[in-house]
Amino acid sequence: MTAARAEPPIGRWSRWSDRLNPILVREVQQAVKGRAFALTVLVALVVTVVIATAAVARGAAPDAGRGVFDAGLTTLVPLVLFVVPMQAYHSMRLELRAGIVEQLLLSRLRPRAIVAGKLAAALVQFGLYVSILAPLLATSYLLRGVDVATIATSLGLALVFCLGATAAAISAAAQGATAALQPIGQVVAAFGFGMLSFAMMTFVGTGEYARDLGWLLRRAEFPAVLSAIVLGAAAATTLSALTAQTFLLHAFENRSTGFRVYLFGLPLLALAWIGCFVEPALWAERTAAVVFAATLLGIVFGVFFCTEQRELSPRVRAHVPRRAWAAALAAPWLPGRERGMLCLLLYLAAVGALGWLVWPDPTAATLVFAPGVRVTAFTTGLLRLAAFTAAYGLIYLTLGKGLRRWLPPTFAGNQLARFAVPGLCVLFCLVPVLIDVFLRDGVDQWHGLHVLNPFWTCERFAFRPERGSVLTGLLAAAAGCVLLQLRGLAHGIGEVRAAAALRRRAEAVAWLRRRTASPARSRRWRRATGWRSAARGPAAGRGRSAGSAPAARSSCSISAPMRPATTCATSTGAATRAASSCGCGCTRRKWRRTSTWCSTPRRRWPAPPARSARRGCWRRRSCSGAGARAPRCGC
Amino acid sequence: MTGPLLEVQSLSRRYGRVQAVDDLSFAMARGAITGFVGPNGAGKTTTMRIAATLDVPDRGDVFVDGVSVLVEPREARQRIGYMADQFRPYPNLDVPEYLDFFARAYGLRGRRRLQTVRSVAAFCGLDGFADRPATGLSKGMGQRLHLAKTLLHDPALLILDEPASGLDPRARIEFRALLKELAAAGKGILISSHILPELGELCDSVVVIEKGRRVVAGTIAEIQRSVAAEQAVRLRVLGDAEAAHRFLLTQPGVGAVAVDGDRLRFALAGGDAAAAALLQRAVAAGLSVVEFVRVEADLEDIFLQTTRGNVQ
Repeated sequence: MTAARAEPPIGRWSRWSDRLNPILVREVQQAVKGRAFALTVLVALVVTVVIATAAVARGAAPDAGRGVFDAGLTTLVPLVLFVVPMQAYHSMRLELRAGIVEQLLLSRLRPRAIVAGKLAAALVQFGLYVSILAPLLATSYLLRGVDVATIATSLGLALVFCLGATAAAISAAAQGATAALQPIGQVVAAFGFGMLSFAMMTFVGTGEYARDLGWLLRRAEFPAVLSAIVLGAAAATTLSALTAQTFLLHAFENRSTGFRVYLFGLPLLALAWIGCFVEPALWAERTAAVVFAATLLGIVFGVFFCTEQRELSPRVRAHVPRRAWAAALAAPWLPGRERGMLCLLLYLAAVGALGWLVWPDPTAATLVFAPGVRVTAFTTGLLRLAAFTAAYGLIYLTLGKGLRRWLPPTFAGNQLARFAVPGLCVLFCLVPVLIDVFLRDGVDQWHGLHVLNPFWTCERFAFRPERGSVLTGLLAAAAGCVLLQLRGLAHGIGEVRAAAALRRRAEAVAWLRRRTASPARSRRWRRATGWRSAARGPAAGRGRSAGSAPAARSSCSISAPMRPATTCATSTGAATRAASSCGCGCTRRKWRRTSTWCSTPRRRWPAPPARSARRGCWRRRSCSGAGARAPRCGC
Repeated sequence: MTGPLLEVQSLSRRYGRVQAVDDLSFAMARGAITGFVGPNGAGKTTTMRIAATLDVPDRGDVFVDGVSVLVEPREARQRIGYMADQFRPYPNLDVPEYLDFFARAYGLRGRRRLQTVRSVAAFCGLDGFADRPATGLSKGMGQRLHLAKTLLHDPALLILDEPASGLDPRARIEFRALLKELAAAGKGILISSHILPELGELCDSVVVIEKGRRVVAGTIAEIQRSVAAEQAVRLRVLGDAEAAHRFLLTQPGVGAVAVDGDRLRFALAGGDAAAAALLQRAVAAGLSVVEFVRVEADLEDIFLQTTRGNVQ
C-alpha cells in the first residue's frame, strides 16, 4: 500500500490550500463544476450587460447613476439572499440524506468546522457575485449616482445578510428530522428566502433603499444603526451556526454549554452597544429595555435548558473538571435540566441585578449611571414587565420540568417537552376563558383564574405600579417553585462533583498502577539513565510547563517514525480503558512538527493520598521524569 | 497493547418497541477478520454503527483499542474506518478530488496527503479512474473508492457493513483479495455479509447474532466443534445404495440418513473411532465402499444450525 514511488510534486496551491477548511475547498471545487453555478453566473453577467446597455442608452440623464446602482443592487439581492443560502441548504441536505455527513463526522472535522466551511463557501460565492456586479456599481459611482460610502455600506450589509441567511439555511437543513418532512422543509426554506429576496428587491428596486441610506448616512445616528444591524445579524448568525452544529454533534457530546454562554453574552453585547452609542441620559431607559428583552430571551432559552435529559452523558461525565470546586463552578454550564435551571436562575439573577440598578431608586441608579439619569414611568413599566416575565417563566418552566420527568429520556422526549411547555401556557390561558364563556356568561374582565394567563395579566398590571400585589404574589409563587427544585438543583451539582471525584479516583488508580507496573524495569532504567539525579535538578523544580528546559524536552522527545503522534494514545478519561500507550501518563504535544515531547501537566496528575506518592509526582513532573516509563513506548 | 482490538460489552439498543441489540458481547483480536453474521434485522448494522460512534446504545459500551466509543468518540474515530452499506459520493467531484477532500478532512497535509491519496488509490485499483467523476463509477469501483476513503487515515480497525452486496462475482473476488491484503497488513476487520461461503473463506472468526443476541462466537473450527455434536459423513458405494441405506439404519450412532443416487449422507455420533468401526463393519457387510468422507460444516451449515430465522 505504501510502495516506494517517486515523490508526487506538490504545487503552491495545494500547499496553500492545506490551511483552508476542507469543506470550503470541496464546495468551491464542486461549485466550479456545477451547472447551477455556471447558470447563475451567466444570468448575472447577462443582467449586468443589459443594465449597462440601458444606462448607456439613457445617456447623461441626471439620475442615471442612481438607476444603475439600484438595478445592480437589485440583481445582487436575490443572489445573496436566495441563491447562496439555498445552495448551502441543498449542500447540507445532500450530505445528511446520503449519509455523507456521517463520513465527515468520522473524520477529524468537527461540526463547527463543517458549518464554518459552508459559511466560508458562501463568502466566496458572495465575493464572486459582487465581482461580477462590480462594474455596475463602479459605473453608478462614476455617473455620480451614489457615493463610495453608500456602495461600501450596501455591500457590507449585503455580506452580513448573506451570512445570516446562509447560517439560517444550514441550520434549517441540519434540523430536518424525518425524510417525510424534508421536502416540506425545502419548500418552506425556498419560500422564506424567496419572499425575503422579493421584499428586499422591491425595497431596493424602487429606489427607497438608496434614498433612505443616503439620508441615514448624513445623520449622527448612522454608526448606532449600522452597528445594531451588524450586531443583530452576527448574533442571529451565531445562533443559527450553534443550532446547526448541535444537530451534527454526537449524541453524547456537550450540546448545551455553547447556548448557555451565548445567552449570557447577548445582554453583555447589548450593554456594550448602549455604552458606546446611547447618550448617558437615556442609559436607564435603554438598560430597562435590555433587561426586559434579556429576561424574555432567557425564558425562551430556558425552555430548552429545562427540558434536557437529566443525567450527564458518559462523554461529558468523563470530561468534567477534576477539582471539586471547579466541577461545582462548571455545573451550571453543563448539560442536564437541573443544571439548565440553575444556569437560568443565575442568568435571571444577573439580569435582575442589572434591573435593580435602573430601578427608580435614585440611590441604586446613581451608583452606576451618571447624575441626571432619566427614570421614567415607562422604564418602571418595562422593569415590572421583566419581573412578570421572569415569574411566569419560572412557574411554567417548573411545570415543564415536572412534565419532562414523565417523558422518555431521549432526544425525542426533549423535543416533546419543548412543545409541551408553550402548550401548557396556551392551555392555562384557554381554560379560564372557556370557564368564562360557558359558566360565567362570557369573558367580561380579568379575575383570579386568569392569573396563569401571562399575556392578559401583564397587559393589565405591568404598567400599573399601584396594583403591586399580583406581581408580589407571582414572584412569591416563582420563589416557591425554585424552592421546590432545590433538591434537584443540588443533585445537578452533586452529579458533576461525583463525576469529578470518580475521575480523580480513576486517574489515581491508573497512576498507581503505572507506578507499580514494573518496578524492576523502572529501577534498571533509572540506574542506567541517572534519572533520579536529573529529576532533582533544576528542571524538576521548574515543573513541566511549556517553557521547561529544552534539555529536559529533548531527553524525552519521541521521534515521529517510532510512533506517529496521531496514534500515540494517552489516558484521558475515567472510563478510557487503555492506559497511556507509552505508559508514562503524560500528554504529548507536537514539537516543531517533527517530534513530540512528554509533558505532564499538573492538572492531569491525580491526587494520591500518600505523601510519598506525591513526592514521586513532583519528581516526575520534569520532562525527564515523564520519560521514566519511556522504555515501554520506546521513547 | 495486548487487549482485544474491538470489545463489545453488554450492548443494548432499542428502537421504539423493537429491541435491535440485546445484551450483546463479543471481542475481536488484532489483525483478525471477524465475520458478523445474522438474519436481516438481527442488529448487525446497529451494532456496527454504535462501534463506529454513529449511534449510541441504551446500555453497554464498545471499546476500540481500549478506547470507549461513548466516552472518547473522537479518539475512537481515529482508530476506526467505517464503510457503510451504501455509498453515495459527492456530485461534481472526480475520484482524486474525492479522496483528496477526505484526506484533508482526516488532517493529512502537504506531501503526505498527496502520497497517501496516491498510494491508497493504487492499492484499491483506482489508478485508471483519475478523470472519472465519483458518481460515474460502477458499483464495484464505487465500493473500491469507498474502501479507499476508509483507509486514508490508516485505521487499525475496519468496520465493513455488507461491502460486497450488489457486486458481480469478479468484483467480489477482487474485493475479497483486497481485504485479505489488509488483514495481512495487520488491520482488524469486522465484516458483515449475507454471502456466507465468502465469509467462510475470508474470516478467522465469526459472530452469529439473531434478534440482537449473540448466538455463537469464535473461530469457525471452534464453532464447528461446539455446534456439531454429531459429525456429518458422506458415503458412496458401488452398486445398490438401498442396501447401504438399510445397513446404515441398523447401525448404532447413525441418524438422519439421506440418499442421493449412489451417495448417502448421514450423521454419526462419536469421534474418529466410531467412524473407523462403522467403515470396517460396512466393508465386512459386503458394501463396496468407494468414498467415506467426513463432511466439514461450513458457515452456511453453522448459520442454519444456530439461527432459527427469527426476524424482528
